[in-house]
Amino acid sequence: MNANTAPLVEVRGVSKRYPGVLALDDASLSVRPGEVVALTGENGSGKSTLSKIIGGAEQPDGGVVLVDGAETVIANPATALKLGIVMISQELTLAPELTVAENVFLGRLPRRGRFIDWATMRTRAREELAALDVHVDVDAKVADLSVELQQEVEIARAVSSQARLLILDEATSSLSEHATERLLELVREQARRGVAVLMISHRMPELYSTAGSAVVLRDGRLVGTVPLPATPESQLVRMMVGRELNDYYGSRDCTPGEVVLQVRDLASADGALAPTSFEVRSGEIVGIAGLVGSGKAQLGMALGGAVAASGEVRVNGTPVALGDPRRALSAGIGLVPDDRKRAALLPTRSVAHNMTLTWLPKISRFGVVSRSENRRVREAIAEYGVKTSSPAKLITQLSGGNQQKAILGRIFALGCPVYVLSEPTRGVDVGSKSQIYALLQRLTENGAAVVIISSELPELIGLADRVLVCFQGAVHGECSGEQLTEVHLNAIAVSGRTHTEDFGEPS
Amino acid sequence: MSQDTTIRRDDAGPASSPPSGRSGPGALLAGVWRASGNSTGVLAGLILLVIFLSISQPIFLTWGNITNIVASNSVVLVLAVGATFVIIAGGLDLSTASAAAVTGMTYGLLLQHGQGALVAVGGALLVGLLLGVINGVLISYVKISFLVVTLGTLSVFESAALVMSQGKTINVFAIENFKPIYNITNGEVAGIPYVLIFDIVLVVVAALVLRYTTFGRGVYALGSNREAARLNGINVDRTTLSVFVIAGLAAAVASLIQVGRLTGASPGIDSTLLLTVVAAVLIGGTAYTGGAGGVGGTVLGVLFLGVIQNGLTLSSVSSFWRGTVNGVVLIVAVALGVARDRGWLRLNRGKKA
Repeated sequence: MNANTAPLVEVRGVSKRYPGVLALDDASLSVRPGEVVALTGENGSGKSTLSKIIGGAEQPDGGVVLVDGAETVIANPATALKLGIVMISQELTLAPELTVAENVFLGRLPRRGRFIDWATMRTRAREELAALDVHVDVDAKVADLSVELQQEVEIARAVSSQARLLILDEATSSLSEHATERLLELVREQARRGVAVLMISHRMPELYSTAGSAVVLRDGRLVGTVPLPATPESQLVRMMVGRELNDYYGSRDCTPGEVVLQVRDLASADGALAPTSFEVRSGEIVGIAGLVGSGKAQLGMALGGAVAASGEVRVNGTPVALGDPRRALSAGIGLVPDDRKRAALLPTRSVAHNMTLTWLPKISRFGVVSRSENRRVREAIAEYGVKTSSPAKLITQLSGGNQQKAILGRIFALGCPVYVLSEPTRGVDVGSKSQIYALLQRLTENGAAVVIISSELPELIGLADRVLVCFQGAVHGECSGEQLTEVHLNAIAVSGRTHTEDFGEPS
Repeated sequence: MSQDTTIRRDDAGPASSPPSGRSGPGALLAGVWRASGNSTGVLAGLILLVIFLSISQPIFLTWGNITNIVASNSVVLVLAVGATFVIIAGGLDLSTASAAAVTGMTYGLLLQHGQGALVAVGGALLVGLLLGVINGVLISYVKISFLVVTLGTLSVFESAALVMSQGKTINVFAIENFKPIYNITNGEVAGIPYVLIFDIVLVVVAALVLRYTTFGRGVYALGSNREAARLNGINVDRTTLSVFVIAGLAAAVASLIQVGRLTGASPGIDSTLLLTVVAAVLIGGTAYTGGAGGVGGTVLGVLFLGVIQNGLTLSSVSSFWRGTVNGVVLIVAVALGVARDRGWLRLNRGKKA
């Protein structure tokens, strides 16, 4: 590749041990200026640990880190910052109560004498943001911005601090397709200007559109470094997972049966979802697509009773009381919300207690939890492929993929007639994704009516019988069969209608 | 185990009290240690403290002194068990000591007006329940912050207790119907105080409720992640109400023990009581952010503060120092917890790996 320039950062034979696990074992990589390197592997393969070592957040137990060819100890994130290494992760590090301009210059505010030079700060912030084509009021409070804009401000801060190495750790996982594309364009632009980039993402299309090479880790070891986009996706996945993933989305052997879920004029009380009607049959997967803010997330919340809503929802003909998650659950609507941390995990509890949370009414008599609890947890852990050394382990000590499998498993074990899954594979690695898809297929074969809300179009196309597209708070179209392509879905998601022609079948 | 203790005592001669404190319950303690989780720090501190006091104060390990520690800390223990439920659920009840003053006053007034023993006890419990309902309804259904509500009721209950008796202490010693409570709080069977037996039963029941009932699981879930609890079918409002009702009942029970010991119902409130109760819970490893901890840790926290207090008394240190010591212990204990959570105390983990 770019062998004529010397590596900006090089890692040689680094290992890192956590209690009970060897997170990194003799791993090496190098990034040259102007190069975009994808760091890939399943959850728990050591990518985050490696990026934290380069970012100064963790210290290696063995091996060396070289910056500009010299052996360097990156003692902490502040040292990394001085070396021009900037980390951008899924969790934003902006100060929400400060303005955009203050955030861009946080920690290095321009001064005049002993005082902060507010005027210069604002002018320079405006220039920096304009150069990146980010249109935002520099005096706006960061907390008032959308997640997408916050992410762009974060990038602007990184760029303006003269970053030489950008580390993107799942930076796009909470962004819409459009915002993701903007962010990747910013990253490519920075690379063209000679910034080195190390990116971690579970979304293959991003890696193929942006990175020049991929470093693959598995179980903490380096599997290999391959050129992108020359390497076929199947080969890259095989390297990551260590086996062939033939049937990524799996398949199901069933035809949709009776109508199980009937939705009539369902609208959320906050107006984010306009009256929407649709039906889902037993053994059918219906996908919901749409941009961030299109109302698709709100549709899931309204179905699961998580937000106040009006309209009519029926399960097997019986009306469900809206706006009460307990009633929705007992009526047979199992909801997995999109934001795992905010709305699904009990961070201070064990894997077992996280899983039994949803089962409590089913496994207790007179308010006392049955002795069968431990057995059920062990069975569910085995059935849903949750990798944990013990059911008593804190759930936050599991990888994201395994947390998600535990969350899905606790709902799937209920045997609900209807499942509403919002972003079921967000932040989950390819191996775990494939396992989750297989679980979904089995669930559907067993007769469940499944609604999947997702920002990942390939996932919807691979799984769903038909996909409804939300636009500005309402369902604006339905795609199935030949029409079920990214082009069609995107067209409706962006403009509310298809550019080619009207759909054959009425919705 | 007791035999083992005796042999050692014989071997070691007169200066034997420290080993007997260590080796006798040693095997038992090793088991407790492994199961202690978040309260390992306070357990270690308690053991060190007991060893130190056993050496420096010969009177410390006598049965008389131990029952004294139990008797003088039962009020704190009962309140702290109630507070443990509230804190695990992610709340805090600042009004607990004031509520105890009101229920104690209720009990005293009912006795004074010639009511029967059962009516007086029942009345106190009912009022405790009612005070808990007031807190709970304002917090869970009217949706006012628990800090605001219980800060308000702290003041309201405190003044209500004063109003009830015009500020006077009600002496109940001579009242016939006071005898059952007096006998229970001050009596003993085979050298074991009834209060100790009651404390043990209370703690075991509370621990079982938290661990093995759907209500207990709901309390943890609520403190761990309110939204996740709500979406997974936990009745958030009712659970919140329930923990405050438990705190109110705990205040009533504590006040009965208090009146039984002092043979009088006083409207005045020990200003350090609330701090001691909350400190005991937090020292015991229950997270102030909710969702983690348990009554086992709370017992250790109460014992720790009680033993320190006892040690200060035995060492003839002025009781004015009590608040300073309690406050410092609280901050150190919580700081150690924070340090552990952030992985600053890596020594142990490094060895394991």
